[in-house]
Amino acid sequence: MNELRTLWVPLAVSGVAIVLLLVDVLSPPGASRRWLGWFVAAALAAIFAGTFLIDGSGTARGVFEGGPWTVAFQRLFLAGGVVAALGGVDDVARRTPLRIGEYWLAMLFSLAGMCLLPGARELVFLIVAFELMGVPLYVLAAYAKTDAPPGSDPAKKGLASEAALKMYLTGATSTAITLFGLALFTGMAGTTRLDVIGTAPLTPLGGLGLAFVLAGMGYKLGMVPFHMWVPDTYEGASTPFVAFLSVAPKAAGIAALSGIFLFGMGSHRAAWGPALGLLAVLSMAIGNLLALPQTDLRRLLGYSGIAQMGYLLVSVAANDAYSAGMTLFFLTAYLFTNMGAFLVLHAAAEASGSHGYDSLNGLAQRAPGLAASMMAFLLSLAGIPFVVGFWAKLYIFLAAWRAGLVGLVVAGIVLAVIGLFYYLKVLQAAYMTEPGALKKPEMGTGLRLAIGICVLAVVGLGLWPRPLVDGSLAAAKSLLDRPAAATTVNVVPASVRF
Amino acid sequence: MSRPITLALVATLTPALVALFLAATPFIRRRGAPAAALTVLGSVVSFGAAVMLLLSRLGQTGTELFTVPWIRSSARVIAEAGVHVDGVSASMLAVVCFVALCVQVFSLGYMHDEPPADFGRYFTYHALFLFSMNVLVIAPNLLQLFVGWELVGVTSYLLIGFYYKKPSAAHAAVKAFWVTKFADMGILFALLSLFVATGTFAWNVKLEPAVATAVTMLLFLGVVGKSAQFPLHVWLPDAMEGPTPVSALLHAATMVAAGVFLVVRADPLFVQSPTTRTVMLVLGAVTALFAALLALVQTDIKKVLAYSTCSQLGYMVAALGAGSVLAGFFHLTTHAFFKALLFLAAGSAIHAVHSNEIGKMGGLFKKMPLTGAAFAIGALALAGVPGLSGFFSKDLVLEGVEHKLHHVPYVILLATAFLTAFYMGKVVFVAFFGPPSSEQAKHAHEPGWSMKLPLVALAVLAVVAGYFAAPFARLYGEPYHFHFGVGAAVAAALGLGGIALAWTMFGGGKRENPQVMVTVERIAQSRAVNRLYEFGYRRVTLAMADAFAWFDRYVIDGMINWLGYFTIDAGRRARPMQTGFAPDYVLAVVVGAVSLAAWAVLR
Repeated sequence: MNELRTLWVPLAVSGVAIVLLLVDVLSPPGASRRWLGWFVAAALAAIFAGTFLIDGSGTARGVFEGGPWTVAFQRLFLAGGVVAALGGVDDVARRTPLRIGEYWLAMLFSLAGMCLLPGARELVFLIVAFELMGVPLYVLAAYAKTDAPPGSDPAKKGLASEAALKMYLTGATSTAITLFGLALFTGMAGTTRLDVIGTAPLTPLGGLGLAFVLAGMGYKLGMVPFHMWVPDTYEGASTPFVAFLSVAPKAAGIAALSGIFLFGMGSHRAAWGPALGLLAVLSMAIGNLLALPQTDLRRLLGYSGIAQMGYLLVSVAANDAYSAGMTLFFLTAYLFTNMGAFLVLHAAAEASGSHGYDSLNGLAQRAPGLAASMMAFLLSLAGIPFVVGFWAKLYIFLAAWRAGLVGLVVAGIVLAVIGLFYYLKVLQAAYMTEPGALKKPEMGTGLRLAIGICVLAVVGLGLWPRPLVDGSLAAAKSLLDRPAAATTVNVVPASVRF
Repeated sequence: MSRPITLALVATLTPALVALFLAATPFIRRRGAPAAALTVLGSVVSFGAAVMLLLSRLGQTGTELFTVPWIRSSARVIAEAGVHVDGVSASMLAVVCFVALCVQVFSLGYMHDEPPADFGRYFTYHALFLFSMNVLVIAPNLLQLFVGWELVGVTSYLLIGFYYKKPSAAHAAVKAFWVTKFADMGILFALLSLFVATGTFAWNVKLEPAVATAVTMLLFLGVVGKSAQFPLHVWLPDAMEGPTPVSALLHAATMVAAGVFLVVRADPLFVQSPTTRTVMLVLGAVTALFAALLALVQTDIKKVLAYSTCSQLGYMVAALGAGSVLAGFFHLTTHAFFKALLFLAAGSAIHAVHSNEIGKMGGLFKKMPLTGAAFAIGALALAGVPGLSGFFSKDLVLEGVEHKLHHVPYVILLATAFLTAFYMGKVVFVAFFGPPSSEQAKHAHEPGWSMKLPLVALAVLAVVAGYFAAPFARLYGEPYHFHFGVGAAVAAALGLGGIALAWTMFGGGKRENPQVMVTVERIAQSRAVNRLYEFGYRRVTLAMADAFAWFDRYVIDGMINWLGYFTIDAGRRARPMQTGFAPDYVLAVVVGAVSLAAWAVLR
C-alpha cells in the first residue's frame, strides 16, 4: 500500500483521465463537452492541493522514489496542466467541438508520464515514463489540423500535421538513439538501477552510451542540434497547446536528465559535463541568433525557448545540489513566464488573425491589462528585475559560477544580451505602435484566469522569490546530498562541488 | 518609535503619500483643483508635524535615531535607512516645510490660469519635491542623504522643465540636470571612497588625513554643483525658466541649500581636512563677489535674484570653509525666508506686469503696496540692514571668517555686502518707485489672498528670524551672544551705503544709466568676466559634455551598433540552417548524436 502511496500523483492523474474517458464516451453524442476542460483544470488543481496534504515520500521497490524533489516537479507539471487547461478550454471547444474529450485525455496521459519522471530511479521505468509523456504530445501537436484559425491562409492548413510529423520523426529518432545509448551503458554497468549505476568505472563503450543518451535527451529539451522541430512545431500546433508544450515537457526532460546524469551518473561528470556545456553554448548562441530575424512570434518564442534551455543546461552542467535547486527554480519561473507569453500571444492572434509582430500593434491601447501582462512576461524572459525571470537567470548563473563554470557563465550572459533585443522588440510592438484597425482581444474566463495566474506568479515570485528558492534548494538537496551510500563512489573533484 | 521620530516620519511621508496618490489617480490629478488642495493639505500636515518636532527639540541637544536595515550583505547590514532627529534636521525640516507650504499656497493664485491638467501635474511635482527634500533632511547617513539629493535633482528637473513645450525651459531643465549630475559624480565617488575606507556611510567617522581630503573634496564637488558655486553655477540663472514660485522654492530656499546642508551634516568629515576648508573658503568668497557683479548688470528681476542666490550661497560656503558651521547654517535659514519672499514678491510683480524686465515695471509700490512692502523687506534683509534677519546671519558669517584671520576673503565678502545692497536697492528703486514704465505697470493691481498670505508670513519671518539666533544656536549646541562690534558696524554701514548709492543713482524715478553703472556694466561684461563665465560653462561643463558625448557616440555607440549589426547579420546568415525539410531535421539529430559519440570516444 505504501508503494501505491508514493505513486499517488501519477495514479490520480491517470484516474482523472479514465474518468474523463468514461464521461466522454457515456455522454450523449450531441451534448456539449466544453466543461471537460474546466473539469480537467479543477481536478489537476485538486491534485496540486493534495500534494501539500498527502505525503508521498518513500520508495516503490527502488524504481520510483517520492520525496521533495519528485513532489516539486509534480507540482510544476500540475500547475502547468492547470494553466494549460484554463488557457485552452475555449480554443479546444471552438476548434474541434467534437473531439474535446480526446484532447484532454491525451494531455492527462502525457501529464501522468511527466509525474512519473522525476521519481524514476530505474532506466526501463524512466524510458517508459518518458514515452508515456512524449507520445500523447505528438497527437496533441497534430490536433489542430482540421481547422486553422478564422481568416488565416488556407494554404497553411496543413501546418499542424507538418508540425506533428516533424516532431514525431525527430522524436522517434531520438528515442531510438536514447535507447541505444542506455543499452550500451547498462551493458557496461550491469544494472539499470540509477542509484548504483554510477559506481562502475567508465569504459569507452559506456562513454559512447552516455553521449547517445545525452543526444536523445537533447531532443526533448530542444537543444541544438536536436532543436529543429521546435520552431516548426510551435508555429503549426495550436497556440494554447504550444504554451504547454514549450514548458512542461522541458521540465520533464530536465527531470529525466537530472535523474540519469546528476543522480545516476554524477560520478562520471568529467565524461558528460563538457559535452553538456558545449550543447548549452550552441543552444544559447543558435537560439538567440535565430530568434532575431523571426517574424512569427511563435517561432521567435520557439528559438527563445531554445536559448532559455541553453541557460538552464549551464546550471545542470554544474552538477551539484545547489545548482540543481536553482535549475528547479528556473523551471518554475520559466513555466509561468513562457506559458503566459504564449497565452497572451494567443489572445492577440485571435483578435488579429496573425502571429507576427503586427498582431500586438497598439495592444497597450486596445487592452492595457493584456499588454502589461505581456510586459511582465517579456521582462521576465529577458531577465530584468523585479520579475521572476531575473532571479531565475541570476541564480542559475550564480550557481554555475560557484561550480567554477566561469566560461559558460560569461557566454550565457553575453548571449542573453541578444535576447534583450528581440524581447524588447516585441514589447515595442505592444507599446509603441498604433492599433490601426485591430480590435480589442476577446478572452474567455479560462484564458483570463490562466494569464492571471501566470502574471501573479511572475510578479509575485519576482518580488518575493525567497520561499521558492529555499524550497527548490531543499528539494535538490534531498535528491543529491544524501548520506553517501556505500555503493556510491564520488569521483568529482572537491573544487567543482558546492 | 519615539514621538520626535514619528513626527519626522509624518512630515516626510505625508507628501509622499500625496504624490503617490496623485500619480496613481490621473482622473483626480487632471482636474487640477483637488490635486492642489490635497497637496497643500499634505504640506500643512507636514509643516504642523515639523513645527511640533522643532518645539519638542527646544532646549535639547541630544540625537534621536531610528533606523531599519536597508542594504544587507550575507554577513552584515551595509546601509540603513531611517530618521535622524537633532537640532539641525529639526530646524531644517521646519524651514523646508514652511517655505514649501508658502510657495504652494502662493502657487494656488500664481498658477491659476494653467489648464487643470497642468495645474494638477504642478502640484504633484511639489508634493514629490517636499518628500525628496525631507528624505534628505532626516537622513541618518550619507547614502540616504544622497538618495534624497538625487530625488530632489529629478524633481527639480521636472519643475524647471514644467513648461516643457517651451524649448528654452526644456533646455534649461536638461542643463540644470546635467550640470548637477556631473557634480553628483563627486558625491558618488566620495561615498564609494568612504565605504571602502570605513565600511560605512556615516558622516562621523575618523579618516586618514589624505582620505579625508579626498572624500571631502569629492563631496564638495557635489556641493559646488547643487549650490551653484563657481564654475558650476551656470545652470542656476537658466533654471529661472521654471515658474517663479518654483524658483522661490528650489532655487532660493531649499534645493540649492541642500549643498550647504550636506556640508553642515558632514561637518565631522570636513573638520578633518583643512585643505578642503580652505578651498571652500576661497571658492565661496569668489562666487559671492563674482555672482554679485553679475547680478548688478541684470535687467531681468529673476536673474538678479538668481545671481544673488549664487552670491549668498557663496557666503554660506565661505562661512563653512572658515569653520563657522553655525553661521553658514543660520544664514541658510534666514536666506531661505527672505529669498523666498523676494522671489514670491517678484512673482507677484511679474504676474501683474507680465514681464520679467525691471525696466517695464516702475511705480509698483503705489499700485501694489503689499507686494512692494514685501519685496522691500526682503531686499533690506538681503542687504543686511540692521534689525532684519539678514543682518544677524550675515554678521555671524563675517565674524566667523574674520575670527579665523582670513583677511582677503573677509574683505571680499564685505565688498560683496556692499554690492548686494547696491543691486537690491537698484531693483527696488527701478521696479517699485518712480513712474510706471509700461502700460501694464500702470494698471497693475494686488493679487488675490492666496498670493498675499505667503508674502505676509514670509515677510514677518524675514524681519524677526534674526532675533531667534540664540535659540537656534542652542539647537545646534553652540553658544551665541550678539554684540554690535566694529565688524557689525562696518557691515551695516556698507549695507546702508549701498542702498544710499543706489538711491542717488536710481532713486526718484531716474531711468538713465549713470556713467558709473555704464562702467560697471562694461567691467561685468568685459572679456575678462566673460572669460570667467565661459570658463565655467564652455571650458568645464560643455567640454566635459562634449568629451563624454564623443566617447558615447563614437566609441560606445559605435561598438554597440557594430555588435548589433553583426549579431543581426549573424542571425540572418544562420537562418538557412532551418531548411524546413523533415529529413534534414532527422539528419541533424543523427549527426549531432554521432558527433557527441565521436567526441566521447576520441576524447
